[in-house]
Amino acid sequence: MYESPIREPLVTGGKTYHNITDDICRPIENKPSTQWRVGFTISAILAAIGVYSIAYTSFKGIGVWGINKTVGWAWDITNFVWWIGIGHAGTLISAILLLFRQKWRTGVNRSAEAMTIFAVVCAGLFPIFHMGRVWLAYFVLPLPNAFGSLWVNFNSPLLWDVFAISTYFSVSLLFWYIGLIPDIATVRDRATGKARKVYAFLAVGWNGSTRNWARYELVCLILAGISTPLVLSVHTIVSMDFATSVVPGWHTTIFPPYFVAGAIFSGFGMVLTLLLVARKVMNYENYITIGHIEAMCKVIMLTGSMVGLAYITEFFVAWYSGVQYEQYAFLNRMTGPYWWAYWSMMTCNVIAPQVFWNKWARTTPWFVFLIAAVVNVGMWFERFVIIVTSLHRDYLPSSWIDYSPTITEIGIYAGTFGIFFTLYFLFSKYLPVIAISEVKSVMPAPERHNKEVVAH
Amino acid sequence: MSNNQYWKGLEELNNSPEFLQRKSNEFMEGIPMNEAFKEETYELSSTRRDFLKYFGFTVSSAAILAACNKAPIRNVIPYTFKPADVVPGVANWYSSTCNACGAGCGTIVKVREGRPVKIEGNPDHKMNNGALCAVGHAELLSLYDKARYEGPLKGTESIAITDLDKEITKTLDEVNAAGNGIVVLSSSINSPSTLAAIREFAKKYPTTKHVQYEEFSSYAIIAANEKSFGKAVIPGYRFDRAKVIVSFGADFLGTWISPVQFTQQYTAGRKAVNGMSRHIQFETNLSLTGSNADVRIPITPSQEGVYLLNLYNKIAASTGAPTLAAAAIEGPVNMVENTAKELLANKGKSLVVSGSNDIDVQLLVNAINSALGNVGSTIDLNNYSKQKMSNDAEMEQFVSDLNDGKIGAVIVYGANPSYNYYNAEKFKAGLKKAKLAISLATAHDETAMDCGYVMPDHHSFESWNDHEAMAGQYSLTQPTIHPIFNTRQAQESLLVWAGVAKDYYSFIKENWAANVKDLNFNALVEKGFMDSGSASVVEDLKPTTKDAVKIAAVTSVAPAVEAKADLNTVAANLAKVDADNKGKLQVVLYKKVGVREGRLSNNPWLQELPDPISKVTWDNYVASSIVFASKNNLEDGNLVSLKAGNVATEIAFLRQPGQANNTVSIAVGYGRPRFDKEGVAAEVVGKNVYGMVTFANGSFSYTSYGASIEKAKGSYTLAQTQTHHTLEGRDHYRSTSLSKFTANPKTFQKQVEVISLWEDRDYRGHKWVMAVDLNACTGCGSCVVACNNENNVPVVGRDQVMRGREMHWMRIDRYFTFNEFTQDGSADRYRADFYKDLKVDSNNDGDANEKITEEAFENVSVGFQPMMCQHCGHAPCESVCPVLATTHSGEGLNQMTYNRCIGTKYCANNCPYKVRRFNWYRFNDNDNFDFHFNNDLGKMVINPDVTVRTRGVMEKCSFCIQRIQDAKLLAKRENRGMADGDVKTACQQTCPSGAIVFGDVNDVNSDVHKLFNNERSYHVLEDIGVQPSVKYMGKVRNTFDEKQNS
Repeated sequence: MYESPIREPLVTGGKTYHNITDDICRPIENKPSTQWRVGFTISAILAAIGVYSIAYTSFKGIGVWGINKTVGWAWDITNFVWWIGIGHAGTLISAILLLFRQKWRTGVNRSAEAMTIFAVVCAGLFPIFHMGRVWLAYFVLPLPNAFGSLWVNFNSPLLWDVFAISTYFSVSLLFWYIGLIPDIATVRDRATGKARKVYAFLAVGWNGSTRNWARYELVCLILAGISTPLVLSVHTIVSMDFATSVVPGWHTTIFPPYFVAGAIFSGFGMVLTLLLVARKVMNYENYITIGHIEAMCKVIMLTGSMVGLAYITEFFVAWYSGVQYEQYAFLNRMTGPYWWAYWSMMTCNVIAPQVFWNKWARTTPWFVFLIAAVVNVGMWFERFVIIVTSLHRDYLPSSWIDYSPTITEIGIYAGTFGIFFTLYFLFSKYLPVIAISEVKSVMPAPERHNKEVVAH
Repeated sequence: MSNNQYWKGLEELNNSPEFLQRKSNEFMEGIPMNEAFKEETYELSSTRRDFLKYFGFTVSSAAILAACNKAPIRNVIPYTFKPADVVPGVANWYSSTCNACGAGCGTIVKVREGRPVKIEGNPDHKMNNGALCAVGHAELLSLYDKARYEGPLKGTESIAITDLDKEITKTLDEVNAAGNGIVVLSSSINSPSTLAAIREFAKKYPTTKHVQYEEFSSYAIIAANEKSFGKAVIPGYRFDRAKVIVSFGADFLGTWISPVQFTQQYTAGRKAVNGMSRHIQFETNLSLTGSNADVRIPITPSQEGVYLLNLYNKIAASTGAPTLAAAAIEGPVNMVENTAKELLANKGKSLVVSGSNDIDVQLLVNAINSALGNVGSTIDLNNYSKQKMSNDAEMEQFVSDLNDGKIGAVIVYGANPSYNYYNAEKFKAGLKKAKLAISLATAHDETAMDCGYVMPDHHSFESWNDHEAMAGQYSLTQPTIHPIFNTRQAQESLLVWAGVAKDYYSFIKENWAANVKDLNFNALVEKGFMDSGSASVVEDLKPTTKDAVKIAAVTSVAPAVEAKADLNTVAANLAKVDADNKGKLQVVLYKKVGVREGRLSNNPWLQELPDPISKVTWDNYVASSIVFASKNNLEDGNLVSLKAGNVATEIAFLRQPGQANNTVSIAVGYGRPRFDKEGVAAEVVGKNVYGMVTFANGSFSYTSYGASIEKAKGSYTLAQTQTHHTLEGRDHYRSTSLSKFTANPKTFQKQVEVISLWEDRDYRGHKWVMAVDLNACTGCGSCVVACNNENNVPVVGRDQVMRGREMHWMRIDRYFTFNEFTQDGSADRYRADFYKDLKVDSNNDGDANEKITEEAFENVSVGFQPMMCQHCGHAPCESVCPVLATTHSGEGLNQMTYNRCIGTKYCANNCPYKVRRFNWYRFNDNDNFDFHFNNDLGKMVINPDVTVRTRGVMEKCSFCIQRIQDAKLLAKRENRGMADGDVKTACQQTCPSGAIVFGDVNDVNSDVHKLFNNERSYHVLEDIGVQPSVKYMGKVRNTFDEKQNS
């Protein structure tokens, strides 16, 4: 169905349906490789450091961080926004690309969706544990209570965040899991012993009937429909944490589109970072092809340019507004004590992705990996610049102050990497990292599997 | 039924079957429970009884479950016999006198359930009219100080009082019999009854001598006045009568003699703006007073004499008196000329003071004042001050006698020479030679450690006493708490040892009864003070009574200065000082507004009170000019080794704008230990530099010439609450010169059009607002400590301050701006748009468009801006809180609900004024913050009307909502409406300059309403549309304008 002489094949290497099943199920059925073991151990150690740092913060107080009377948010919310952004590529691939019938997504959508969920898990830790009284975190939920008319504040963007993030997490999880069901059933059918029982439970009685497939397609379409606005809304709402405030450098109407573009930008950066490693280690070069990589590079280049445009627009508007506080905030970003963060951001986000105009750059995996990593660093700096450099010098110079992180904050950030990769390693060991059924759907029809034989 | 004798109706009488059936149903029509629950699936067959069963089960389970959640059980023991006048929850106020320094301000003490929790100025007291300084407020905390002695000691062992008395009297008898001297060494004492008690003691032991010693002495004024006017007193200064005030290094608003009194006088002459006085300050280090001056000229200490001589000559030349030999001035010559012109134009309405403790300098100051006819108008020798009574020469004599073995016994009362005498080792060595050394200290001090016995004195809050701070102005101290420890009042100890079997209360009472006719002692105690006009006076003071004439009546100028020959010697001496020390590095010692001499150095409120100028807490440091720093390659945060006088120390370094070049300044009062919750000495705060004091020309000198300074290894960061010092060209602090203001009184107004998306609020009842007069505010920090006390603001310590986490609800922002000197070096024009970061060299992060020379940093203007929650009408903090923990009241208050706060810190981020404070840790019962909130004694200072916040919640200024509620309740109880002035916030109540006014802006007759319509008033950041409830009134500086220069 998805084949023509002028279209590049999405799966290379002359694979048959059976090859695909074998290839993708292999890591699940075999004992974990040494590479996997080493990677998992490192991740688990990092995760343990993170859990310790979070526990230390919760027991001692937020004072163990480096924030102060003027800079109330720093690494915590920087990391939160960064991780949420990371997740966005997954949703974009699974939802919007599905609706736009971008078939190339089938090779990467599973990993990207998994990444979304793990990133949201990491992101969600920050707004919870940045609370001074984390044991009362449930106050943010609009729960009926016995305190009279005590209710949450629907004016607060932080409350919108609560709804946005929880919706995002649940929809993403559901979408990912529904997509997994046919593949889990495949794994179940090949498994023996205890594993079979577990996969049988997870496959919720999938039998591959037409009715199953019909319902499955429908549900996927509906979930894609629900997810599509989330791609735009989640980061829009996150950006409103800043945009609705009065802090110079935060109070900017450009934030929603700018944040969404940035999120997709960093999300694809992360997808590339992970998949370039995965395809090499797990020998999936035929499923995640150079074509995939090139397509994602193009997205990065586009969104990177959008972000760059936003940076310049901000500057122009700051000057054009005539508001001295705005003007100073942006001047301070460039030339103030955190100039290095600003220039790192500009270099990584605006200049670096422009190399993708060059075809060689887009199609050379090691180079793409480098740029993808740079993009992620740059996007972290973007959030840091927005949050810390705006706060540390706002209206009254008497309160101007500098900020530097403590080991605990660094530990938590490192810990979220640990949590993210621990989950990713578990996922890659126990679940199919490539959507078997969907990849098969973009293969040529069975009778023409062997293209060399069939003449056109 | 049928036997009923009474029936309710015919139905019952008839007992019809319908009626019987109906009666068996409790409700006429029954409750259609079954219908309600009848669905196809099941049928409800439960009855009312079942319902009750289930209900009972549910409720009891819920109750049991609820009981699992342990609520803390706190037992409250009611009074068995309720003390008179103590109503739980209701405060009693007792009048008393502040004992924190010698100034003798009248106080009222708020007592809750038997413990003093707040001290305020007595509004009726002539000295301070209700105001109090930071130290006065903090004095209360020293009552609950873990460093206090808990009972008498012999060496380090405790001893019973009776045994101690026996041993002491025995030794005293021996010493007396041997004819050896006995010395009572005290700080300044102006208490008539204490002096009488010492006299009683001297009666028993005739070899007794009383030596009064002040570590930061004003003896030179006394000595000079004796020479000039024949009266060995510190005169009463009247800054309110002076149109021109010239001060040579006298920090009269901060630390000099009687700061609260002087601040009130000073602001009285300036608040009205029109016709405000002009204040010219010549000084070395940028003092609080200098920072308020209209014109400030930085000079080195050795130049002071030369400047004064030149000033004298200019005045003498005009009055026809012979001039003195004087070297020419280096630097802006016109400053002295202008000053002389100003002074001559205001003869009899000007005042020249000097903070120097050099007798020659003071003689010259006397000569100038005398020539200007100020003696008798702004200098009042009749209503003189008794606030500082020390005699440096006597102290010197005493220490030398001690070392010669002439002194047999020393009783130390309120003095601490082992710490603060410049040659402490000599004193200690001498003290060892005395047979008996007794300390009457209240809390641990260095001298007590060197004494054989310690008979701890009551704290002043536990004591009776009387005071005569100004001649003829008496005031009383009464105890407001039962003695906490096994202590005895010092005077009583002296009486016991003198064999007078009287408690001190009776002694005072009898002393007063013997000296004052028709005395109602109880009424006097209640009022707290007495003016000499109303009765004849205690014995000591009879000479005073004779000339206790109303000051207005004194018209004749007091005796003129002595012979000219004497002044020539003075001129020669002063010229020599300058000539000898010209090229040398000169060190100036000064007192900080908070810690002062260091008597209350274990007081966390004072240690954490930022220095008004440098904003440094918890430390002293060497400060130099920026030129000096770059010349010597020194930077903030360096450690330097400094050698001066008897001291060689390594100490932190700070670049201080305004400091005269080639000088450094260091605060005394540091280098004493902090005491932990066990009452054990912990880390030492700062460095002790009293060893740099010298004894020269018959008095202690607080200048040290020829010091050496060099960079030492290591660094030391000072904990500053403000690290950015300039306005960055912003207009939240508005100031102008008087001439510009007169030309355009609307100069502070800015036309702002704000479009709001929010509906305006409607305040129908009260609308609480505050007005802050920047022209009155001197930046003294009294409000900060008052607020800390009133609102249980935690102390966080040096480390947290360094991390930018001080908790103060009220802070005073301090900004430096540059003065611009014209070509001839004379003008002091103020330019609001001239700004730059302090860092001259590298950090070019402001949009400064001019390169500023390092020299310019010597000539800075200082602006103070008290900053607290602005209680915005459209508060940005309120809209962002996800849980509605901060909300708006119907009276315009921005309220914090601590219980609801989860600590997202979003509100603090979104606060344009950055006044919100977050509880980073639990600041109470936490050994990492071992201040008064960490021990039961210290916690007695907690205001029971205000919650102590837990960790993780946000807090901020509440406009003293507890006081608002209190005033409302009172008004309600008295069945009246609220009147203006019913509510005074803690900061307003204590402000010596009356810079803060709080009230209801809806009340058109209120002061605050009028101030809101004042032409000088403006909102800070009015253009961002948050509608703050605080208005500031712009600062007007009475600088020399160009016309006056020509």
